Amino acid sequence: MTRETKTYIITGAGGVGKTTISAAAAIRLAGPDRRTVVMTVDPARRLADALDLHTLSNEPTPVPGVSGLWASTLDASASWEGVVHRYSDPEVADRLLENHYFRAIADRFPAAQAFAATETMSTMIESGSWDAIVVDTPPSAGGLDFFLAPSQTADLIGGKLLHWLTGAQLPGRRFLYRFTGRPLLKIADTVLGGALLEDVAEFLLDLRTMYDRLAARALTIQRYQQRATTLVVTTADPAPVAEVLRFFEELTEVAVAPAAVILNRALPLEWADAARRPIRGIPDAEVRGILKANLTRWGGEARRQTTAMEGIAGRYGVPLLSVPWVSEPPIAVESLTWLLDGVDGLDAFF
Amino acid sequence: MLDRRLLFVSGKGGVGKSAVSAALAILAARRGKRVLALSMTDQIGLAAHLGVDELTYEPVRISPGLYGTLVDRSHALDEYLGLQLRMPRSIPTRQLSNALSVLADTAPGIREIVTMGKPIFEVWREEWDLVIADAPPLGQLQSYLAAPQTITGLVPTGAVREQAARLETTLSDPAMSSLLLVTTPEELAVQETREAIAHIDAERQILIAGVIANRVLDPLGLNRDVVAATPDGPPRAAGLLHTGLVEAQSVWLESIPHDPRLPFLFGFHTPGEVSARLAEVCESFA
Repeated sequence: MTRETKTYIITGAGGVGKTTISAAAAIRLAGPDRRTVVMTVDPARRLADALDLHTLSNEPTPVPGVSGLWASTLDASASWEGVVHRYSDPEVADRLLENHYFRAIADRFPAAQAFAATETMSTMIESGSWDAIVVDTPPSAGGLDFFLAPSQTADLIGGKLLHWLTGAQLPGRRFLYRFTGRPLLKIADTVLGGALLEDVAEFLLDLRTMYDRLAARALTIQRYQQRATTLVVTTADPAPVAEVLRFFEELTEVAVAPAAVILNRALPLEWADAARRPIRGIPDAEVRGILKANLTRWGGEARRQTTAMEGIAGRYGVPLLSVPWVSEPPIAVESLTWLLDGVDGLDAFF
Repeated sequence: MLDRRLLFVSGKGGVGKSAVSAALAILAARRGKRVLALSMTDQIGLAAHLGVDELTYEPVRISPGLYGTLVDRSHALDEYLGLQLRMPRSIPTRQLSNALSVLADTAPGIREIVTMGKPIFEVWREEWDLVIADAPPLGQLQSYLAAPQTITGLVPTGAVREQAARLETTLSDPAMSSLLLVTTPEELAVQETREAIAHIDAERQILIAGVIANRVLDPLGLNRDVVAATPDGPPRAAGLLHTGLVEAQSVWLESIPHDPRLPFLFGFHTPGEVSARLAEVCESFA
């Protein structure tokens, strides 16, 4: 069974509500005739409970109460194990998986987590069993890593470091660490104390055997990313807004232009205007006074949000979708369902 | 909080680490200390909150007693090799650091130790009464705090190993260094903070000076039912949002009952205004 899969990549800085928006979008997309999966990264506990996600696993599980919806939480280590098994010879794979560095890199290197996410997304697309895939991206580098990871990973393996450590020709494993004629290595050796560089070089040599297949894979992944609908989520706070700008400015090389900016925790601009008018229909002067002062404060925030967001969407010619600020965090399936109700312009995407 | 020589400030991304770092630096300088505010990340947050366009590798004077700087990756590696490790002059540090910067991208702990080394190195220089480091967010902080141990576990001998051991000693000395965690009164931020505290305490990496709850809303002064009974429209909607948010935050504030709170600032536009106001509030507890 092969289906035409629609892929959505939800990106943006940490803490802006990417996972919540991803889950809400997936709930909207899912239906009895539309098998949908949302791939989350590190969801808040109550959201994880709502989606019935209790362990890291790339294997999607059905979400209770939503017909046609599955969810998973990225397991970067498992993704990398899959990569190693798929793209290297069995004995190299075994050696790599036992390698100290491999573990450390797969767990800690931010771009490695991002690459794992892209690989897992691609595997889901290739499975042909989904109508829609919603990908919540890891927050490192404001989500940029997710798009840069395929080429960065290929560069790392085929790149300068290996060349520097092993010389121009690929040596046999036994000869890879010769000091003769390599004064820099000698210095590095006194600084780093010997065995380290040898271990790293050995690890990279093993990885190197996967290079051709992994480089080809990176190109495939980039094609999937380009075909996906990318939506960048932000709040009106200066830091995430700066990340959105970076996203539009620095992503031209991989050419994945976001289709829209989603402003989360949006306040209605009409509050700013309403705050200037007298309040009617509240006889109690104290209540009226407090609500007026409160509306003035929040109206000012609404105005500040508009100022921050105005221009960004216009400058890059993409729509701005405003998801309202709600007092109760939407973590249950019902509240996630209505979170996106009435958001102007959303129907074009979900 | 401001009595030791080195204060790291961390928290979940987006909770206001840079604003709090800048506020505490401003406050400490106002009290007559010679303070270095140092950004450990590439982001411009700390610079903006200190009211300058950018920070440079060379500390810049911001106001009397207050200086700002950042860890610039390439320079930091140079400095780490040249000054911190006391590499002899005859060695081409720049060339070596170019080569090592590639290694730093892959080998665990190298990037982190270089970044962690900078604020500690500044403390060793004895030029500052207080170094405030705007640290990486909680998600990455673990690998930074663990970097000295990672390195000593990885590198059996040599100068790097000795240096890592020295860094670890300064970090874990409660008379020298402490860590302040910033959170907002929200589920994800509070939970991440509590998990980090448990982990750091278990590993005894650094003394935790406290938690600051940032962007805490004051109660509206009206019961939610009273607001709900008013006619439909913006005054009611804004009132319900406010009372609802206050109710939602109270759950998370209860779980960190004794920690200082910083207010949600309405009507403050520039990062510089925000940190100046927060510095005034910090006066009462820092």
